[in-house]
Amino acid sequence: MSDLTNVNFDTMTAAQFEDYLPDLFASGDGKVSEDPRFAKFLAANPDCAALVSDLETIAEHAKSLFEPTEDPADSVWSNIASKLKDEPQGLDETGDALPVE
Amino acid sequence: MGQQGLLTMQTKPNPGLFKRNPPIAGEAEAIERAKNGDADAFSKLYSLHKRRVYTLCLRMLGNVSEAEDMTQEAFLHLFRKLGSFRGESAFSTWLHRLTVNLVLMHLRKKGLQLVSLEETINPSEDDAPKRDFGSRDPQLAGSVDRVTLERAVASLPPGYRMVFVLHDVEGFEHNEIATMLECSTGNSKSQLHKARLKLRELLRQPDQLPPIEGNKEVKQ
Repeated sequence: MSDLTNVNFDTMTAAQFEDYLPDLFASGDGKVSEDPRFAKFLAANPDCAALVSDLETIAEHAKSLFEPTEDPADSVWSNIASKLKDEPQGLDETGDALPVE
Repeated sequence: MGQQGLLTMQTKPNPGLFKRNPPIAGEAEAIERAKNGDADAFSKLYSLHKRRVYTLCLRMLGNVSEAEDMTQEAFLHLFRKLGSFRGESAFSTWLHRLTVNLVLMHLRKKGLQLVSLEETINPSEDDAPKRDFGSRDPQLAGSVDRVTLERAVASLPPGYRMVFVLHDVEGFEHNEIATMLECSTGNSKSQLHKARLKLRELLRQPDQLPPIEGNKEVKQ
């Protein structure tokens, strides 16, 4: 990814800015539009400012999708309950799919 | 700056919504009872978490039938593994990670290489977002609601959708996603950025977005 250590953010080109964007969004709180380092550049490049605004809007509103909205069919629980009857709990001691706590 | 972004959302997200997985009343007791073989307690855990697990599966897989199968698989796995949960993380976080791991294993079994090697999750050139600084289309300045965003996400190429859902929707960090997808954090950042660029393109033409599979669209 990009090394931003020696970048002059005031004189970079739009293409350079685009190359840096994945890292810029991933650093800090991801609010590129509010980062004072880019204020001058974004003021001089309204299309870049619009792009940043749109991407921030998408990221912000993606959070609203976190709220679950879909119920599985009733048959899902029926199938689970049916299989559980034949299965003693804690039988599987392998680590498959187990997340790290 | 002078110009505002193209996308104005009708539905403002609740700022508190993204605090992932707050404690659920009665959950801890149900976990302990379920660990001791209480079937009613396990049924309660299913009721508490079925929507989130299913929605996660549906978004990752984009297919109702597969999502239901994986939801079933996730809860069967939960039943088998519940004794391994030590309470060192939020139960729902643990369950979501278990679900993500199962979905990824399922995809790998299907032969999809989209989550294994560097850059293999890149979609075809046609699917990739275009570099289009500059041209702003004034026709696209309309509002975008949650349903439209959901449809746009469902239209993303699988690799983009996976990283977008895990990061921007589920709230996983790039290093966590990199571990899950067996790629670098740089690749995760890059894919997320491309996903957002592609979404921007898709949201510019909302009437061309296909309905979500099975017409199970999100209620507003």
